[in-house]
Amino acid sequence: MLKNAFLTLLSLAIAIVGGGGSVWYALKFQGGVGAIRIGQWTAFPDIGTPSADPYSKARVAREGVLALGRAEGLSFVAERDTGGAELKRECTYTIEGGFPTARFWTLYAADQSLGVVETGKPRLAALQSYGVVRQPDNSVVISAGHHPMPGNWLLTDGFGRMYFVLTFYDTPIASSTGLSDVSLPRIVKVGCDA
Amino acid sequence: MRSFYAAMRRLLHAVLLGLLGAGIVHIAVLLLVPEFSERDAWSRLSMASDLYRMTRLDAEAGGAPVVKSVDPLFYATACRFDLGEGMVRIKAPGHVPFWSVSVYDRSGHNIYSFNDHTATGGVLDAVVLTPAQMIDVRKDLPEDLQGAIFVEAPIEEGIFVIRAFVPDDSWKPIVSRFFEQSSCELQDF
Repeated sequence: MLKNAFLTLLSLAIAIVGGGGSVWYALKFQGGVGAIRIGQWTAFPDIGTPSADPYSKARVAREGVLALGRAEGLSFVAERDTGGAELKRECTYTIEGGFPTARFWTLYAADQSLGVVETGKPRLAALQSYGVVRQPDNSVVISAGHHPMPGNWLLTDGFGRMYFVLTFYDTPIASSTGLSDVSLPRIVKVGCDA
Repeated sequence: MRSFYAAMRRLLHAVLLGLLGAGIVHIAVLLLVPEFSERDAWSRLSMASDLYRMTRLDAEAGGAPVVKSVDPLFYATACRFDLGEGMVRIKAPGHVPFWSVSVYDRSGHNIYSFNDHTATGGVLDAVVLTPAQMIDVRKDLPEDLQGAIFVEAPIEEGIFVIRAFVPDDSWKPIVSRFFEQSSCELQDF
């Protein structure tokens, strides 16, 4: 009798802890489904729309996200450089290449929660396309790091993981048909502070 | 020995049953999270302000941002509305480099969005209403609604968000004023 009660309790415990825990884990640590990857950059065009998958919907509800609409823009997030290493706030990177068609774009360095990196200075860790210097072929070279650099300088600061968030506003690539032949800039590591 | 095997089999049975249950609980919890979340955008906004009240979402207005992951080069403001009480009209006079607008339903899903290229003369003047209210309005369109953008949304409660681009510091006061002058109110009809 006691053994039966123990086995029932064991089953229930596995069901509740395993089921609840796996949802928590999936929402907290897993990348979403429905991602579009272009080079190092990832976008979720479906997140925040009624056609999103249940995991995205749960994440939107849990984190209180209000996602950009199709007519507004599309965000790409990068968490690794072209060498496959995680982006670090203490390292210096070069972001170079062409950008797809859009009215304008913004680029900022973000922390784990995708909020902008605190620099402790009046200068934001963000750049936008109206304020960058372009190469003769219309491509852009951006240096991201803690030390001032000539050309386009994206200020970062601190230690630990970093993400780059690149958002295109009023862009035709937000409609899913345009995403296949889009190329985004590369992120190359230059060096790290010891 | 035989009783040991029997006991192990029953234990295995219980564990397998537990794992099956875990799968069912996983699906049930996943589908219930949006229903019961108290941290979604609507709940956060309702803690910050009332219905039909424009609330800044960015941290610039002081305090922590109400809704996170707003582009640092953007200001954003939002108001909650309830179409059950009537249609809602959102206006913001003035010109900024770029603004865009999204209408979200109660659970934070983006159901409609447009930007300043869509609007007449680049001025933000929009009316959100249900399809039933749209039929009433069509019968006799008031003079002052001629230039407005009508957003037909099959929802009751919803959130209206305006985002505006701040290219550099010199634009901050202009964009802030754009938001201060914005209004979100029940439209009598």
